[in-house]
Amino acid sequence: MALIQLKEVTKEYNKNIILQDVNLEVNEGDIIGIIGQSGSGKTTLLNLISGFIEPTEGEIFYVSKMDGQPKSLAKNIHKLKRHMGFNAQHTSFYPKLTVKENLLHFGQMYGLKKSTLIDNAKSLLQITGLYEHRDKLASHLSGGMQKRLDISCSLIHKPRILFLDEPTSDLDPVMQKEVISLIQEVNKQGVTVVMASHHLESLEKICTKIAVVHEKQVHSYGEMEEIRKPFLKDYITINVKAGKDTERIIAMVKKMPVTKIVDKGDQLMIFPQDADKTLAQLMMMIKQENLYLHDIDLRKPTLDEVFVKITQKR
Amino acid sequence: MDLRNLSEQIIQKKREMERMSALWLLTEKNLKNLIRAKGSALIVIFAPLLIILILGLSFNTTSKYGLNIGIYAPTETAEVTKLIDGLKEQEFTVAKYENIDKCVEDIKRAVMHTCLDLPSSLKVESNKQIEIKYYVDQSKINLVWMVQQTLAQKFTVQEQQLSESLSKDILTRLSETQTKLNTEKTKIASTKQKNSDAVKSTEGVKADLATIDFTTPTTTYNAAVVDVFKTEIATRLSNTSQAIVETKATLAKINTTSAEKKKVEILLTKVDEAVSVASAFLDSGGPGSLQEVSALIAVLQSDVDATKIKLTAAAEKVKTNNENLDGVKLTIGESIALLEGTQAVLDQIHTNLQSQKVTDAAVVAQPLVMKIETVSAEKTYLSYLFPVLLTLVIMFSSLLLGTSLVMMEKNSPAFFRNFFLPIRKITFILSIYLTNVILILIQVIIILGLALIFIPNILELLPMLGLVLFLAASIFTFLGMVIGYVYTSEETGVLASISLGSLLLFISGTILPIEGTSITVRNIISFSPFVIVERLIREVMIFNAGFELLWIDLLLLLGYTLVLFLVILAAESVLHKHLLERFLNHHHKIHRQNQKMGKI
Repeated sequence: MALIQLKEVTKEYNKNIILQDVNLEVNEGDIIGIIGQSGSGKTTLLNLISGFIEPTEGEIFYVSKMDGQPKSLAKNIHKLKRHMGFNAQHTSFYPKLTVKENLLHFGQMYGLKKSTLIDNAKSLLQITGLYEHRDKLASHLSGGMQKRLDISCSLIHKPRILFLDEPTSDLDPVMQKEVISLIQEVNKQGVTVVMASHHLESLEKICTKIAVVHEKQVHSYGEMEEIRKPFLKDYITINVKAGKDTERIIAMVKKMPVTKIVDKGDQLMIFPQDADKTLAQLMMMIKQENLYLHDIDLRKPTLDEVFVKITQKR
Repeated sequence: MDLRNLSEQIIQKKREMERMSALWLLTEKNLKNLIRAKGSALIVIFAPLLIILILGLSFNTTSKYGLNIGIYAPTETAEVTKLIDGLKEQEFTVAKYENIDKCVEDIKRAVMHTCLDLPSSLKVESNKQIEIKYYVDQSKINLVWMVQQTLAQKFTVQEQQLSESLSKDILTRLSETQTKLNTEKTKIASTKQKNSDAVKSTEGVKADLATIDFTTPTTTYNAAVVDVFKTEIATRLSNTSQAIVETKATLAKINTTSAEKKKVEILLTKVDEAVSVASAFLDSGGPGSLQEVSALIAVLQSDVDATKIKLTAAAEKVKTNNENLDGVKLTIGESIALLEGTQAVLDQIHTNLQSQKVTDAAVVAQPLVMKIETVSAEKTYLSYLFPVLLTLVIMFSSLLLGTSLVMMEKNSPAFFRNFFLPIRKITFILSIYLTNVILILIQVIIILGLALIFIPNILELLPMLGLVLFLAASIFTFLGMVIGYVYTSEETGVLASISLGSLLLFISGTILPIEGTSITVRNIISFSPFVIVERLIREVMIFNAGFELLWIDLLLLLGYTLVLFLVILAAESVLHKHLLERFLNHHHKIHRQNQKMGKI
């Protein structure tokens, strides 16, 4: 079920077009990752979807859960804020309030009942692992805990959709993992997540859909497979002991329908036309010829590679 | 050795040049940074120019003090009119009042700066100094000084004129007296001369009279001789008469014979002899004789003659002296007339001098006395200063708190999240305002609590004072909030708030009397919220003014509050997008910086 729809959305800043004719649909329950080069307009897209900024042209609709009818986001933003949570790139809470005070404050701002608020806060504190730190000043928390608190503040009112701008920036790898798992946990609770990030590896892991913003437009939008296919195919990597059977393997592969072979010394990268078929043939031949190799793997191109491909394409 | 020194010198010089070059480069960089930082450039470069411009425009006037002076004069005399004209000439605004109380009320309302209570006459007509009362609001300390100075200056001239007039009057009388005395002096000199002549004449008379010989003959006339003579003559004549009488009687009665007749003849012969003896006695020169008597008489005759001559001469002299004395009498008569004239002149001088009513040297020297009257009961300096202090505290606290709270919110990490809260902008604005009001309220409670020690009646004034302070806090809070919304960094915002507060203070009359500015500027300044608030607090605290007197100013403050609130709403709406963009840019910058530093 569609939750947000963008129709022919264009955004200009000082007569500079940032995004043009964007059409996008965010479905309920998705985790959508927005990727793009710096300055490509991914944050603008996130801000548009979240209603933080209004489009110059086109319209954004929010589909009500009650009647399933799309409503103009701009016109109903005040009401719809209750259904949205936004997490900016930086942490956005009051450093001089405790963890609990921050949650209660923002919960009260959403007009939650006290009992509901306390329940929500308790639940969030437990999910985020901040329960033990609930009475600490927010400024005294570690970077990862601050990020978790920040996300908690965005979730205190149990929004339908959570927007995250660079949620893993400024965090070390351990903290990044914490945040990613938290996002997955939040999504499991039924919250739709839309996030813009540079950390494509993380996005690849958790996103159900990816929107690639490139050259003022949403270049590609869809599931990972859909994004990847038009640009890069699967490939096979063979780790060999250098110089021993490499020549024979290359000779065998060359007889197969492959587009490209890259010899990296102790690794061969084979780009076949049909990866699964080529892998089966290779396995059979290696067995027959009794060739030595460390391992053989069918690899799918990473989002990073796809992104590079897309951005280098034009 | 010389070459080595030269080389060292060159190196030294080169290093100095490098240092200078670095110094200049750093200075150039600093200047660029300063000018490109809008806030700093505005405050560092334009603020002094702005202050100079404002002050220049404000005090670019020839009128030294633009005081509003109220005058109450029971009678409108030419002197009063002259005084009013004199004040008007000095560009004072003069208003006439029918009673002094109304004028005093206007001082309390700051409509008038001082009130002159003039006496019924500005003429000095007795030994009593003219007392001019002027009323001042002693809570305006610098204004009191200025009023005193200005009026003293003005009335010193008036006093000089009066003193001059009095002195001239006295000098005229003295001059007249001198002229009259000079005239009389001549006359007296003449009289003196005449009297001197008279004295000399008298001396002549005296000398003449001294020459009169009034000495009597020293001859002793023996009156007993004459007595004896007389007695002898009388006895003898008596005897003779007796004999004759007896003879005659005898002859008549007796018819005697010749003998008898002979006898009678003999008797008659005897009588004849007795008479002959008496005659011989008279002719004899012996003692007691008639000859001797005659000699005596001759001597007497001689003496009498001599005396007659002397007396004749004396009579002659007396006659002469009588004539001289007539002259003296005439002279003295003239002197008396002259003295009478002099006496009349002296009487005139006396009358003239008596007509000089001002004779007291103190009055002549200082005919005017300026008496200061205060428009309220005497209080301590703290009471007078308290309204200003309170206004200052409220103004600076509200401005700074307003700015700081907005800045705190704007620069808070949570600012971004607030955009996603279903809370209207007005609620945020009001929350900042309410926070500020609460903080100011706490401050005010502390201040007023402490003030209770010095100003015990402050509790009675609390309702009206509270209203004024509330409005004041609202205005300055909103002003501070406007600054907070306009500026981006807390430092420049706070600096701008302090600058605004200082400017408001500077042009409030608290430091420099605004009465020295032009009328236009003064009119503008009178609408300054600081001026209005300070005036209201003063009126409430010092004059116990009620709502009926203050409602216009209170309404004005309320108007300011509403206008500023609307301005904040408008500014907040206009700045919303701008703030968002700046906010996003700011955080993107931080992100990029972090990336560069390898934090990400």
